[in-house]
Amino acid sequence: MSESASANAPKPSSSVKLVLLGEAAVGKSSLVLRFVNNDFQENKEPTIGAAFLTQKCTLPTRTIKFEIWDTAGQERFASLAPMYYRNAQAALVVYDVTKPSSLTKAKHWVAELQRQASPGIVIALVGNKLDLTNDGGDAAGASVAPQVESESAGQDGEEGAGEEAEGQLPASGDARKVSTREASTYADEEGLLFFETSAKIGTNVVEVFTAIANAIPESSLKTGRGAAGAGQTALGSRSGEDSRVNLGDRNTATAKEGCAC
Amino acid sequence: MMSLSSFVQKASSLIDPANFNIPSLSSNDNNPSKASLFRQQFRLPDSQNPLQEITAELILPLPNSSSDSADGSRRVDRAGNRYTGRLHLSERFICFSTQPTSFIPSSTLSASTSWTGQTHGTGPSGNGFTLPLSSIRRVERLHSARDVFSLALTTWNGLLNKQQEPNFSPQRLILQLVGSRQACERFCDCLKKGLREGMKEVDNLRSIVTDCYSEYLLSGTKAKDANDGEGRQPPDAGLGMLFRYPGDARKLRDRSKMRLWGEYFRENGRNATLVRQPTFHKLIRVGLPNRLRGEIWELTSGSMFLRIRSPKLYEETLVKFDGQESLAIDEIEKDLNRSLPEYPGFQSDEGIGRLRRVLTAYSWTNAEVGYCQAMNIVVAALLIYMSEAQAFFLLSVLCDRLLPGYYSTTMYGTLLDQKVFESLVEKTMPVLWEHLAKFDVQLSVVSLPWFLSLYINSMPLVFAFRVLDVFFLEGPKVLFQVGLAILRINGEELLDIQDDGSFISVLKSYFSRLDESAHPRSENPKLRAITRFQELMVVAFKEFSGITHSTVTEQREKHKDAVLNNIESFAKRTSIRNLGPESKRLSVDDLGTIYDRFYEVLYQWQQHQKVAEEERMRQEKKKSERQSVLGPPVDRQVGRVGLGPSPTHMDYDAFREFLAATSKWAVSDSPAPARKDSSASGYSSLRGNGKSLLWANRRQPADHEFMQRLYRKWATDPEEGLSLQNVVNGLARLKGAPDIMNNIHYFFSLYDDSGNGQVDREGILKMSEALLFLSRRGFEGTITATQSLEDLNSPRGSDADQNRLTTDEKFLGSVSAFIRRCFEYADPSHPDNQKAVFSDNTTEVTEKLDSFAIGDDDDDDDLIDVNDDEKPQTSSAAVSSPQPTKSCEKSRPRSESANPALDPNNPLHITLPTFRMVVLADELLEQFFESYFPQSFHLSDRPHPASLAASSSLSSNLTTFSNIGNARASASVVAGAPVAGASGGIVPPGKGLRGVLDNIVTDGIRMAAEVKKRMDDAQRELERNALGGRDEEDDEDDDDDYPSRQGASGAAMAGGISSWGAGAYGADPERRRVREADRDLLEGAEAEVLSIRAPKEGASSHRVRSPASAHDPEVVSKVVEFES
Repeated sequence: MSESASANAPKPSSSVKLVLLGEAAVGKSSLVLRFVNNDFQENKEPTIGAAFLTQKCTLPTRTIKFEIWDTAGQERFASLAPMYYRNAQAALVVYDVTKPSSLTKAKHWVAELQRQASPGIVIALVGNKLDLTNDGGDAAGASVAPQVESESAGQDGEEGAGEEAEGQLPASGDARKVSTREASTYADEEGLLFFETSAKIGTNVVEVFTAIANAIPESSLKTGRGAAGAGQTALGSRSGEDSRVNLGDRNTATAKEGCAC
Repeated sequence: MMSLSSFVQKASSLIDPANFNIPSLSSNDNNPSKASLFRQQFRLPDSQNPLQEITAELILPLPNSSSDSADGSRRVDRAGNRYTGRLHLSERFICFSTQPTSFIPSSTLSASTSWTGQTHGTGPSGNGFTLPLSSIRRVERLHSARDVFSLALTTWNGLLNKQQEPNFSPQRLILQLVGSRQACERFCDCLKKGLREGMKEVDNLRSIVTDCYSEYLLSGTKAKDANDGEGRQPPDAGLGMLFRYPGDARKLRDRSKMRLWGEYFRENGRNATLVRQPTFHKLIRVGLPNRLRGEIWELTSGSMFLRIRSPKLYEETLVKFDGQESLAIDEIEKDLNRSLPEYPGFQSDEGIGRLRRVLTAYSWTNAEVGYCQAMNIVVAALLIYMSEAQAFFLLSVLCDRLLPGYYSTTMYGTLLDQKVFESLVEKTMPVLWEHLAKFDVQLSVVSLPWFLSLYINSMPLVFAFRVLDVFFLEGPKVLFQVGLAILRINGEELLDIQDDGSFISVLKSYFSRLDESAHPRSENPKLRAITRFQELMVVAFKEFSGITHSTVTEQREKHKDAVLNNIESFAKRTSIRNLGPESKRLSVDDLGTIYDRFYEVLYQWQQHQKVAEEERMRQEKKKSERQSVLGPPVDRQVGRVGLGPSPTHMDYDAFREFLAATSKWAVSDSPAPARKDSSASGYSSLRGNGKSLLWANRRQPADHEFMQRLYRKWATDPEEGLSLQNVVNGLARLKGAPDIMNNIHYFFSLYDDSGNGQVDREGILKMSEALLFLSRRGFEGTITATQSLEDLNSPRGSDADQNRLTTDEKFLGSVSAFIRRCFEYADPSHPDNQKAVFSDNTTEVTEKLDSFAIGDDDDDDDLIDVNDDEKPQTSSAAVSSPQPTKSCEKSRPRSESANPALDPNNPLHITLPTFRMVVLADELLEQFFESYFPQSFHLSDRPHPASLAASSSLSSNLTTFSNIGNARASASVVAGAPVAGASGGIVPPGKGLRGVLDNIVTDGIRMAAEVKKRMDDAQRELERNALGGRDEEDDEDDDDDYPSRQGASGAAMAGGISSWGAGAYGADPERRRVREADRDLLEGAEAEVLSIRAPKEGASSHRVRSPASAHDPEVVSKVVEFES
């Protein structure tokens, strides 16, 4: 799955180690699969220890090669996590918008990362399974018009993967149990990037990775991974950057192309 | 002290096999016990212990059934094979191995750990057999010419099947025992006993055996092979029978393998009665045939023996827990559809259903492990070749023995083996290791899944199963050998990689080409035919043949602590961080201390109880036959956080231990009751590290009503016990808000049983009792009486007042005043209840005003009250009276009748405001609640800044355990010692102290006079404004007194323990000396003498370790006597 780095990339290319953390079955592997292969599988083998995948992400100025460590979510694998987030420059902490306990677990991970991971690590909080909520449903149904969310910062309306037909939603009500506001407030307090996604229908998946790519400070890229870069500066202007990324993505026809390898 | 006779008795009891389960020496050294080595060697269930062993020669007669003419020539070579080896007997098994190993408890450790031969002691190695006694049909003593002691074993081999096989003859093994006649007889006696027991299991054996594919293979139907000529269904040999086995059967040469096995079975027995000869190992190395794979796995791993033991366990478990839910089941459900999804069997309901049932049943039988991801993959793989029940038992052997700790909740086994693997790579491939280190590639991110899922999802299935074939026979070292071989073969390429990604991709592509030729360009067609997988096997087992079970064990032992510490600090970090807002009132250091102490106590307590349980079992002479066949191994450590699920709640007794480690007042005044001593001492002989030493000499916790109240107050559910969160919250309430009002309120609420804001008469008395209880060990300098109070009191000069030399004594006065005032200002309960509530506010004000007058008023009455109140208290309280020095005063006339408040016909209560007022009215009580009470809970040395602010002075003599062991002279205790110092009940050998106390008690009057004289002196001094000096002296008394008391009780405890007859270690130096003495003794001694000494070490040495060193020579000479 991993490709040998092609030496002659047009833009400066650098690799970024990214780790996914979160409770079991929130969709970590599915997010990665969507991002790397633009695919979704109902039955993926559970991750044993961690899975390793790579994917390139092309930004206007540079190319970022994500080395993605997708960790096992089962509680007892938690003690293995330090092995994987060691030297990581970015982390995706995933929770399930239909499962409040998973947000609690995500908060624990954020705290763990902030204390134990390399300083300056860029952390994104991601609420997955948006397709199970009304937001997700609306988004999938009303394909063109960007939806203005009452609560969210507006990412939910992204229609990067609107053409995905498979995202059939239960016609019944909203399975959402974690409000966007609650999570985004927390993300603001902790200085995290924040997204709500659906790996199943593809909503916002590429945006997450692109935002992370943008948030990684140049300085840490140059020195390669493991550098204790000053990530805080990039994070300082986070909220503005978020919207910028989103706008940008909305303009680049389909999100996938924005991040092709 | 133990006498010589009891020692001899114990020693001889060792020879009696009935007492085999006395904890052996080896468990002291963290080495696996010999019994567990024995079980590992022969893959026996945990219930088995080595009872007898003897050197023997195994003579395998020529099989009479010479049916296949084709095999005739081959058999000639093997005619009458003779093997010399060791014959072992356990409760239900007879085992023979050509490897010269010894397991009976009396054997030396060196003899039992020197593994040689193919499997290096990790499995049924060498040539020989492991026969359940139930499979033996008859044993004959053969008449032989000379002094040869020969036995002929006839087994049930082939006879349990209804169908008679053609050309069948019973299996008969001849064993010639080599040894003294006596030894042979003893062996036979034991064997006879076992056989009688074994007969009961023949039916079990039959039910298992008839389901074995080998029986089917050898029965008549096999001639027509797969064709079901006689309509007999072949036994379940896994999903492969329905969905095809992975790989190309022809390419795997499945049929010829099957033929070879059939031949082997006919000659050497099948399933439970199989005899291992060299061909057996070879046949396994070349890969098992599909339909026999499950059975051979079951046999070599020993899980078949578990199944024979309880053939119905799997079905029963499923029925028993049918319909119940658990976390594990939820987790299993999530993974069912993602276990080997590429195999057609697991795309069907049939396969998924089997997987679900096996995983679920196992999660019920071993709730501690429950379900761990990766188990689904392993079990799915097993199910391709075995029935559900077979997979169930094999999974249990995997979790308990072959992959210890891999799937536990902390996965420490996985992490540990990764460390071991890394260190082996470093050792065997230093260049590669350095390269990986240079580029910061972490090996375990790649190798972890290899071990965790047994290469099943790393290699193509066919090859992973080949690895498993050897793994089940030879044990976990196979995983290491294969892993090392993978790296060695790919070494060149791996030296080029520079990051994790390319590292992974190199190996991935290697795994995908395992079936290709290893030497594609070779001229030699034979060489060209060698696949990469074959190459891998050769490298693994030839080049890395030096990696043995003992290598792995050694390395595991070396890294174990570091790995556990890592896990534990991770767990601690996480757990402290998740304690919630309440915990923020305590400093991180404090939380860390609480955390450590909490789990330390839980751990020790659990060990303690485990040993106590063993002790009880031993006393009842009960055989430790395990109730359940499955479940964690008997000799594992328990309770350590890193090892897996540990208890998370402490019961009241454990909470007492916790408090005793936290607060001085929670330490018992008297040494432990005898019951505890005996178990605690056996405990320390089991565990070799320093912790047990500390535990054996630990402070015995007191048991006081106050502690019970605290427990109930802190617990969310007293039945369940206290969680860490409960304890943290409780302590945060006390220490986190250093506010006197809060503390007073808290104390009051402890006694407000009905929760209506009232404490009745009983409660008031209990409160005062608690105040005395809490203060009986002195105040550590947190409370000092000011001069003003001193002045107020001293001129009044009654006898009683003269006694108030120290703060402690003054506090006593305060408490007595407290009671009196409480009663004085209590509201009558019954008739005026409503009124009391109604007029609460007004009374409060007036009371407050009054209270100051009281303080000055009639202090004289205080002591009368206190004595009268105390008398019933002390008789009822569980702790000894806190003030024996005062016993002289108890002769005072009782004046209860004079006090209307004590009239039981007059119910009354106090409210919080009253209580608060009464407390604030007294300087000492105020200080008590302001600083002493919260500070008496010792946490870290660096408390939260906020709580520091309030503390007037932090006592320097913080409670530590470090000085417990050092018995300090206790003679320095003088008559003027504070009340706490005189707290009774300390028994010899602190004779000096006891003597003084006795004198104090018996000669009260003289004492009083003396005290009075001292008091007068002191008074004069005081009047010369020497108050500061006075106080200093008090503090000094405190300081001196406390450790010395500790020393005394420590010594007393050691004495008590040794007299209770088990091995509590005393002070360290003594222990060392004993060890040296042992060594001298051992040197040059006969092996047999050693063997008797060795396991007794625990028992004998503890005696030597008693505090009195004078015993040493005596004991040594006894031992010598015994040995000679």
